[in-house]
Amino acid sequence: MIRTGEIRIRDAGVCYRLYREKVTTLKEAVVQRFRHLRSAEMFWALRHVDLAIMPGEAIALVGHNGSGKSTLLKTIAGVLQPSEGQVRAEGRISPMIELGAGFDPELSGRDNVYLNGALLGFSHKQMEAKFDRIVAFAELGDFIDMPVKNYSSGMYARLGFAIAQDVEPDLLIVDEVLAVGDERFQEKCRARIRDFRTAGVTFCYVSHSLDAAKALCPRAAVLHHGRLAFDGPIDQAWERYRELERGPTPGPQIAAS
Amino acid sequence: MSLAEAATTPAVATDAPAARPSALRELFRFRQLIALLVVRELKVRYKRSVFGLLWTMLNPLLLMVVYAIVFTTIMPAAMHNFSIFLLGGLLPWLFFSTAVLQGLGSVLGNQDLIRKVRLPQAVFPLSVVGSNLVNFALSLIPLFIIMAAVGQPFTAALLFLPVAALVLTVFTSGVTLLLATFTVFFRDVRHLTEVALQMLMYLSPVLYDLRMLGQHREWWFRAFQLFLRLNPLSYLLPLVRDPVYYGRLPPLSVLGFASAGSLAMLAIGLAVFQRLAPRHIHYL
Repeated sequence: MIRTGEIRIRDAGVCYRLYREKVTTLKEAVVQRFRHLRSAEMFWALRHVDLAIMPGEAIALVGHNGSGKSTLLKTIAGVLQPSEGQVRAEGRISPMIELGAGFDPELSGRDNVYLNGALLGFSHKQMEAKFDRIVAFAELGDFIDMPVKNYSSGMYARLGFAIAQDVEPDLLIVDEVLAVGDERFQEKCRARIRDFRTAGVTFCYVSHSLDAAKALCPRAAVLHHGRLAFDGPIDQAWERYRELERGPTPGPQIAAS
Repeated sequence: MSLAEAATTPAVATDAPAARPSALRELFRFRQLIALLVVRELKVRYKRSVFGLLWTMLNPLLLMVVYAIVFTTIMPAAMHNFSIFLLGGLLPWLFFSTAVLQGLGSVLGNQDLIRKVRLPQAVFPLSVVGSNLVNFALSLIPLFIIMAAVGQPFTAALLFLPVAALVLTVFTSGVTLLLATFTVFFRDVRHLTEVALQMLMYLSPVLYDLRMLGQHREWWFRAFQLFLRLNPLSYLLPLVRDPVYYGRLPPLSVLGFASAGSLAMLAIGLAVFQRLAPRHIHYL
């Protein structure tokens, strides 16, 4: 049985198909007799990853650009389905992969709060109860009734974080979103995340900064070209990460099928 | 090999056995999102326009004026209140065709969201159908105004219109879901559909009625008749026209065929969509 707040990843792989020349018109497909659907080259952004994260645990995901961190986060969040293996995450997930994803620029901040809530599966009534808290946290004041397209990027991110922090998650997934907003708001976000940590929320964090990760996570997993290279205490993980970075980087490998 | 088969052939085995049975339940859980998306669509569409929602009602009215002039003065039709007859076919047709054309691009159009947030993707085509249902309902208001103006009798059969709208919505949803998922894999489904809809309009009883067809022995006419008999729209459009123009309920057999066909269409559309949805993200 999988417990609430637990993440279990077993031999997971995510495969992207790459086309040298993307065939997306029917004519070309017919001409090639649908061969393109199979002849694509496979790129495994993630492969053979095993990871078990217990409820209430905090783990940092570390790796170079394109190592598969974001892909892994997306499979945990349920946005992507693994091409092979299993990824299970039990409980309500607050995916702070991108703040304000799903904001409609034409709508007011108020409308967007409800829209974003619905995107996360909340009813209008539930969002009404949260609304004042969210606006207060975002420090938007009267701007809440302005179209979101008139917001500064800081305001945009603040509103996004304010919504995401109010969903009573069992799992919190953060992809370096804390690099937004001014110093003071960043500190406010970090404080909120520490609250979640003490409340026993499972926490997955992608970061390139050792200090930021260390402050929040005792454990880290190092990804290298889609493989899990290390899983353990964060200090050792960082050493391993540095070591891998120094090594030769052949660039992403594409396997023809 | 048909398009459907090609699209369902897995290039990579997707291992998601647990996701499927709960897909419908998840869609139900997100029903409020569909409602919000409908509101958003209407809000965004009419935000900067002076007349706002009035446009929805003005459109059929203007269309009507054009048709009225064409068919009463330029080439007079031999029918009483031909304008009402036309609107009875055109309004449901416009609901269907507009929803399909807008809806088939809705998965592609919302790809930013689909890449970032976990949600049942069917909410996008369904919300487009929903917003067009609202438009259809609103366009009944000018229809009633015109009916009153030309002295068309209002009968109790008009109370059937909500049922007609429901059946039409079920059918339109099925077609839209199916084409929305195909469009992700083959972008020119949109252009094919545009052409197909133009032809379909003349191959469906929109501007005419099945009873108006004469008898010919030519093979092409028989082929045409056979197509009409198999065309679900031959059963769907009368659901609106019969109460509006003839002032009576559609025959039970017509309602039966229309409902069965619509439910089958929705089942197919949903099944194919849910099956292909996990793979959309690789083609967006």
